[in-house]
Amino acid sequence: MKRWDLIVIGTGLAGLTAARTAVEMGAKVLVIGRGMGSLALFGNSIDVLGAIPPGADMETGVADWIAAHPDHPYARMGWPGISEALGAFRELFSPPYTFAPAGKGNSLIPTGAGTMRPTYLLPVTMTAGAGASAADTLIIGLRGFKDFQGDTVSLHLQCRGVNLSLPRYGLEGLSALALARLMDEAPFREGLGEAIRSQMAGERRIGLPAVLGLKAPADVLGTLETITRAKVFEIPMLPPSIPGTRVFHRFREFLIEKGATFLLGNPAISADLKGGLCEGITLQNPPLLTPYRAERYILATGRFLGGGLQADTEKISEPLFRLPVSQPESRGQWFRERFFQPEAHPVHRAGIVTDQELRPIDTRGRIILKNVRVAGSILAHHSMIEEHSHEGIAIATGYLAARRALAS
Amino acid sequence: MDLQTEVLIIGGGATGAGISRDLALRGIPSLLVEKGDFTSGASGRNQGLLHSGARYAVNDPEAARECISENRILRRIAPHCIEDTGGLFVSLPEDGHEYRADFIRACAAAGIDTTPLSPGEALAMEPKLNPLVIGAVGVPDGAIDPFTLVVENVRDAEARGARFLLHTEVTDLICKDQRISGARVRDRVTGEEFAITASRIINATGAWANEILGLAGLSMGIALSKGSMLITNTRLSERVINRCRPPASGDIIVPNDTVSILGTTSLRAEDLESHEVTPEEVSFLVDELSRMIPAIKGERFTRAYAGIRPLVQSEQTHDDRDISRGFTLIDHQSRDGLEGLITITGGKLITYRLMAEKTVDFICERMGLDVPCLTHLQPLPGAGRGHTFQDRLLRLRHQTPAFRRELLCDCELVPRETVDAILREGKVRELQDILHRTRLAKGTCQGGFCVYRLLGVLNERRKEEGLGSSNRILTGFLEERWKGIRPVLWGTSLKEEELIESIYKGLFNLAPEATAPNEGGIP
Repeated sequence: MKRWDLIVIGTGLAGLTAARTAVEMGAKVLVIGRGMGSLALFGNSIDVLGAIPPGADMETGVADWIAAHPDHPYARMGWPGISEALGAFRELFSPPYTFAPAGKGNSLIPTGAGTMRPTYLLPVTMTAGAGASAADTLIIGLRGFKDFQGDTVSLHLQCRGVNLSLPRYGLEGLSALALARLMDEAPFREGLGEAIRSQMAGERRIGLPAVLGLKAPADVLGTLETITRAKVFEIPMLPPSIPGTRVFHRFREFLIEKGATFLLGNPAISADLKGGLCEGITLQNPPLLTPYRAERYILATGRFLGGGLQADTEKISEPLFRLPVSQPESRGQWFRERFFQPEAHPVHRAGIVTDQELRPIDTRGRIILKNVRVAGSILAHHSMIEEHSHEGIAIATGYLAARRALAS
Repeated sequence: MDLQTEVLIIGGGATGAGISRDLALRGIPSLLVEKGDFTSGASGRNQGLLHSGARYAVNDPEAARECISENRILRRIAPHCIEDTGGLFVSLPEDGHEYRADFIRACAAAGIDTTPLSPGEALAMEPKLNPLVIGAVGVPDGAIDPFTLVVENVRDAEARGARFLLHTEVTDLICKDQRISGARVRDRVTGEEFAITASRIINATGAWANEILGLAGLSMGIALSKGSMLITNTRLSERVINRCRPPASGDIIVPNDTVSILGTTSLRAEDLESHEVTPEEVSFLVDELSRMIPAIKGERFTRAYAGIRPLVQSEQTHDDRDISRGFTLIDHQSRDGLEGLITITGGKLITYRLMAEKTVDFICERMGLDVPCLTHLQPLPGAGRGHTFQDRLLRLRHQTPAFRRELLCDCELVPRETVDAILREGKVRELQDILHRTRLAKGTCQGGFCVYRLLGVLNERRKEEGLGSSNRILTGFLEERWKGIRPVLWGTSLKEEELIESIYKGLFNLAPEATAPNEGGIP
């Protein structure tokens, strides 16, 4: 049985960030996960903290937020730590497909519902969306592709919108993935570019569903911009997410290249815990149960959707290490009466409580497992959905967890 | 635009629709007004059970006889609204054999066929039953689709000249010299107010009966009883499963297409809109019904909902189950001296046709007409057309490939063409009207994906008509959806909810205050 320096459990953005950080520090890393995680669902741009107004200084904004929310995961590292982790993330994406803020601090980008969402780092394929305006933007829908409704977007932005019919390709019923693969083919994107150009009436920006290729999105962008002579941008839409899948692929490519071992599809089902340490975990690989051992472990299994947290009719639990979960007293208090309200539903603030170094602690503040760190959305005391902080928390805590784990 | 008719029916539930059809078949002109969509009240918020009457055989033999007689009639006139599942009454060790013996005798007396079954036979028929079952009795229960039933009555009545106004509420009754001469109404979508002149008004508003009577300064004794139900993600049984014990809460499981509906509770409700299902009710239903089918404990629930039963009070009683489930026809001329007003309320979905027959018989008598009722003989228009899941798949297969490929809802196989056809007809006013008329938002994700797509279809039409965008439709839908899903959020449904919240609140950053007011709803 091989012994690893670090086992990362979870292949969402937090787990991938932790694994990559550890690999760069020279560690021998095993990454295990059920699948592509939430990146393939919602990964688009990198949200850090939506509450900070567009254009405002991030450092001050985050400091103010931490002062008002001392339990928040960001209080573990502050803006300097967040910014260092984001810098490392950006280094992974070299030109031409890069991530950067659209201006100073947050910017607003259009979404598939026609609303604007505050976000921080944008892939190059979304940057032009930050400047979209009613006067100069054309929204392109693809007839028969149902997960992006172009008319909803153009009506809401009060700009012009066109639904293109591409009968030659039989787009009806196509998935986002199939469309993205078509985009990777030069003849298809050139044909699409020509079709868009024939519909233009002087617009200088063109918004499309976020399906501009999996392999070479910058090339797709380049082709479309050359043909239309306009700025082209992707608009986040219903899952699955193509931009998130690109991020997943890039991390996996990097990790495998650097010698990390990547096991997908076999969930960790139990942990061997002795004397305040984790001695090993067991993976289900039917019909086998395979044990894996490491010096250190990072738990980045996400929330309910990822399987990091489980809820029965009574309470919320963490199934792998059986860590205590900070949660409302009873199920009746998990959710508020209305779906939309200013405060997040209390259940979203539930999660694992840790010390400054992201080690899980009990209610008296004692460390439960000395060689386990916790990263990502499974942490308590945030509400990533309303805060628009999902990716920021994943990157900052994944980075910190790996740094601290390997320093010990 | 003032309107004129002979009989004005208030209420678009099963009773109102049934009366409309009965009047039409007897050649009497009518107009029906409904403040929401068809089946917005108890007709659309029940367990979808085609009672055999067995449930009432011991306690209320008269109700049992009505049920079995109507059960047989509905199988004849509305076979396309019914799935003939059959039903079982199962006895558990704690129920004993005594009630079962009474039950079989009472069913025989009411004319309900029963088939006594051994535990082994029952388990072979329904493998998910509790293996501790000590016996079962087969009865002719079934499943019924209330919305199709009502729409079919409406379709037939409309073809015979009856008229219908949806989203139209009665704001006042017009009386002259102790005689009804019509009503004032308001269109709830446009706000337009107008009068309808009528010689007679039938108050078929169910639990809302006193709201209408109050407009004439009248009232009657109605107890409001809230019944809550849960929808599972899979179908648990082939047949309706009843507990063989005196009627109580949490004792019926009705299969419905690909799912099952668990019910019910019976709680006194204070107001007509109290549709909230509490965590306690949910836990009670899960615990109680898992005695009959243990797999319910681990089942995923897609939604909870509640309906308000109007129980007509004859005297003080503590348990609402003791109040008769029978119906009441009140002639306000003899009762209150107000000529031309009739109230029909109480009863059950399965007796809607009988309630309509008695009401129209009474009206004919008052009008001095001698025209026989035909509703028990004349099948509904679509009676030859199947409506099961299998029929839907077959129809989908016959549609052209392009339509087949553009499914708005992948869970329930709803092609875009279905929605386009409904919009072309031009009768729907609100998003919920479209959802009522299709299987959109009825699957596992409860509309989490398909309503976004539906909004796109609507926005395409809004754009053609020069209207602005309307995300209010989407946020309103999500808020309405929340009422049903919130009580069942644990396990897998909680995972799904994280997905839906991440899409709409996270990715789309939707908030109700950020959206423009709805400019008239459906284009």
